[in-house]
Amino acid sequence: MSNNVVVRVTEVKRVYFMGKVEVNALRGINLKVEKGEFVSIMGPSGCGKSTLMHIVGCLDRPSSGHVHLDAVDIDELDDNSLAEIRNKKVGFVFQTFNLLPKLNAIENVELPLIYAGIGFDQRRKKAAELLEVVGLSDRLYHKPSELSGGQSQRVAIARSLANDPSIILADEPTGNLDSKSGDEIIHLFQELNSRGITLIIVTHDQEIANHSKRIVRLKDGLVVADDQVR
Amino acid sequence: MINLVDPLKIAYGSILANRLRSLLTTMGVIIGVAAVITLVSMGEGAKSYIMNQIGSWGVGANSITIQPGNENSHSIEMTLTYEDAQALKQKVNNLQYLMTEIVGRGRLVYGKKEYKPGYTLGVSADYPFAYKQKAVEGRFFSHAEDSGRKRVVVIGKTVARNLFGEFSAIGENIKINGVGFKVIGLLEEKGTMLTYDMDDMVLIPSTLSELVLGTNKIWEMFITVENETQVPQAIKEIKKTLMARHRKEDFHIHTQQGLIDIVNNILNAMTGIVSAIAAISLLVGGIGIMNIMLVAVTERTREIGIRKAIGAKQRDIFLQFVFESVLITMSGAVIGISIGTLAAWGIMAYLKLNAVIAWGAVYLACLVAFLVGTFFGVYPAVRASKLDPVEALRFEV
Repeated sequence: MSNNVVVRVTEVKRVYFMGKVEVNALRGINLKVEKGEFVSIMGPSGCGKSTLMHIVGCLDRPSSGHVHLDAVDIDELDDNSLAEIRNKKVGFVFQTFNLLPKLNAIENVELPLIYAGIGFDQRRKKAAELLEVVGLSDRLYHKPSELSGGQSQRVAIARSLANDPSIILADEPTGNLDSKSGDEIIHLFQELNSRGITLIIVTHDQEIANHSKRIVRLKDGLVVADDQVR
Repeated sequence: MINLVDPLKIAYGSILANRLRSLLTTMGVIIGVAAVITLVSMGEGAKSYIMNQIGSWGVGANSITIQPGNENSHSIEMTLTYEDAQALKQKVNNLQYLMTEIVGRGRLVYGKKEYKPGYTLGVSADYPFAYKQKAVEGRFFSHAEDSGRKRVVVIGKTVARNLFGEFSAIGENIKINGVGFKVIGLLEEKGTMLTYDMDDMVLIPSTLSELVLGTNKIWEMFITVENETQVPQAIKEIKKTLMARHRKEDFHIHTQQGLIDIVNNILNAMTGIVSAIAAISLLVGGIGIMNIMLVAVTERTREIGIRKAIGAKQRDIFLQFVFESVLITMSGAVIGISIGTLAAWGIMAYLKLNAVIAWGAVYLACLVAFLVGTFFGVYPAVRASKLDPVEALRFEV
């Protein structure tokens, strides 16, 4: 296995039970993402995009198949170890930002550092640096309610970068933004990617997907297309 | 090492964000703790007042009282004599003071004025030492004056005011039941004890009791030893001496321990009842806290999901919620202690008594609040920590 492979998904299936109805969200996905890639995952609603993201991000476990993250087989890990992987190796960016409303920008960015056990001075410094990277050095002490959607998403991106993760997973990161803010976010992702950060974004917007380097299309829980764009 | 500071800060932040709700949640704890602290502080205050009263009357734990008559017989036979007192003085080791008291009624005449004091007592010269009541003006009579049957008298403030008004009584001649006496001392003021005016009193040498009061039968003997550990030995010696002289147990012996025990028993019973009420209040308060914590877990499902997504372990979430519950109850305890202490002070000040801060109860309240907060916080915290992150992130309030 190449040392450059960040994510390797092998024959992953995920079955839900909604009441007594069996839902096959993923029906045997194979995917390999190497270091420095910028992948878009596209597909209609209910095709399993989010489920795949959750599994790659160690929030969920596959019903069968294997997921390797940085060459570690995650289905052998217990819940605590998964939490540690989410903390150190994965950065999440959500459609609805998912910032904690009672904390200001810098405190939100600090959260993953708290759970990583970093001391106050060091994490404050790191959080301030990250907010500068996303262009919010003048908004450190603003609460999410005092920030625009685009600014909130930048805070969320800064938070996802806190522990220098191996991969950023973004689930419809521009879904709740106007097109201008959305463009800014996608350009920020491009910039981060150009610095060597590996990204996977889920989107149903072709415009957004066109900014990435590779587009993977899902349908009914299977990969139906996988194209290198650039 | 487990990081406890950050979960504590997070919990503190959550409480501050919901000030009113946190306060209402912990009201049960506040009321319970305040009630206990108020009543226990008042009880301690009452106890120290009673102990002080006993002590100021000279009746400490090192004292022994001998009264005539068998404890179980209804009629009081006056069986103790002056000779008994002399014998005890020789036979009891470590004896400090021995005071005999003969009680009678006296009619005082000074010029044309007449007054009947509450008590006219024939006492020995040890009186001021045994009862810790000095003469503030003039002096007390001596052993020589007692055994020499000198006609000298020491009077209380109430008596002095009634007979002499504003003028000094020292050196004046008065008649008690027709016998002439010279006033040589004025007693230190004692105030009232259990409604008796302790200053409405006249003291004459015990040897003159028969002449003036028509009796030489001793009402009470009051003995003090050097320290309270010698009391049991002294009681044995008193019994032995008196039995040898009387050939039967026609007297009974009291120590202050009995009275102190009674006071303690009453207060302990009161404390027990208060504690039971407090326990119920804290139980109800604890259930209230658990209820609110369960609501908080549901309300903050999404927050829990976010925290888990960015790397919070089950332990982190668990600690956050347990600390929140413990902090709420502990704040309740602190508020309750403050309110209780103020209330006790207020009430006791109104009653013109001193409240004593019951530190034991304060520490206990803190400990119990801690335990209640932990106990009722664990279940909601476990529920929070076990939430599935994907479900939690999807949760809409």
